[in-house]
Amino acid sequence: MDRSFLADKDVISASRKFVCIRLATYENAEENEVLKGFYARGGNLENTVFTLLTPDGKTKLVTAGRSPVWAFGGVAGPGVNAQPEEPIKKMGQTMEAIALAYPGKGKAAKGFPPLPYLADLRLALNVTAADRQPLVVVYSKSAEQRKKMEQELSKVAWSDQFIGGAQYVPASDASEFKAVKNFKATSGFVVIQPGTFGLTGEVIEVIDAAASAGKLVGPLAEALGKHKPSQLTYDQHRQAGTRAGARWQRATPNTDGLSRRGGRRRPQR
Amino acid sequence: MNRSILLVGVFSVAPFFSNVQAEAPKAAAKTEKIVWHGTWKGGLAEAQRTGKPIMLVSAVPQCHSVPGVW
Repeated sequence: MDRSFLADKDVISASRKFVCIRLATYENAEENEVLKGFYARGGNLENTVFTLLTPDGKTKLVTAGRSPVWAFGGVAGPGVNAQPEEPIKKMGQTMEAIALAYPGKGKAAKGFPPLPYLADLRLALNVTAADRQPLVVVYSKSAEQRKKMEQELSKVAWSDQFIGGAQYVPASDASEFKAVKNFKATSGFVVIQPGTFGLTGEVIEVIDAAASAGKLVGPLAEALGKHKPSQLTYDQHRQAGTRAGARWQRATPNTDGLSRRGGRRRPQR
Repeated sequence: MNRSILLVGVFSVAPFFSNVQAEAPKAAAKTEKIVWHGTWKGGLAEAQRTGKPIMLVSAVPQCHSVPGVW
């Protein structure tokens, strides 16, 4: 049974009352600075950060740290892969209480909910491989067409049928697909199976760029259903990746642990 | 000693991100998951638009430079 914080049903339920942002650490210098503003021991950004914030993104509502353990308690230590019930329950309850204090604008919110985009296709392949989910690329050279596509896809992506079932990224140039097999430079909703190690991908299906939300539902459900998630365990994945020479190049330097080692860092293999 | 501190730090986040590994065998079926905005700019704009609070998480999608895993 999975008893991690972010897989808990009450936490997931409460998360629908939040805007959930998950960044890839060390992939964007500006975002690194944002993260350091919330948690950075000795001024150095660590691998992981967790906190809850006010809607303006300025005020922490719980203790920030490397994980929810910092805010809600729980077990931190080697070999721990499940939390006691109490801290998970506390996280869900805390989120519900915060949601009551910040209920949001409801229908008064202007505009339509945007797609929860990832930053770019290269990173999106990696993230969706890690999440073992399919990726949908909104691809068109035309910004105007992408906006229309995004509006239609958004109606589908946030529906009960599809919410949380895929991840999304925009693309405006065919060159962004250089690591994607079977891509033909045609505008459309490009559904991709990420490679096991997130360095490559393969097109599952391309849905017409002019498809309305109603016309998207069937083809998208069918395409997403063809996604085959990796079945490797964490250790198997790491070992297979090492054997295959799969390596990720960060956009910015890794500063994890610098403050705990007097500013010195072991060279990474 | 420094290494032991590091290990505690590393493993203390393991339960936080272990959901991906644990869910793998059943990932083909529809499972409830958190919906993540993948950029600070996009997520913050949505929080300001809706007035909803923010859950902020950051992590590296790699282990020992092997990508495709949290």
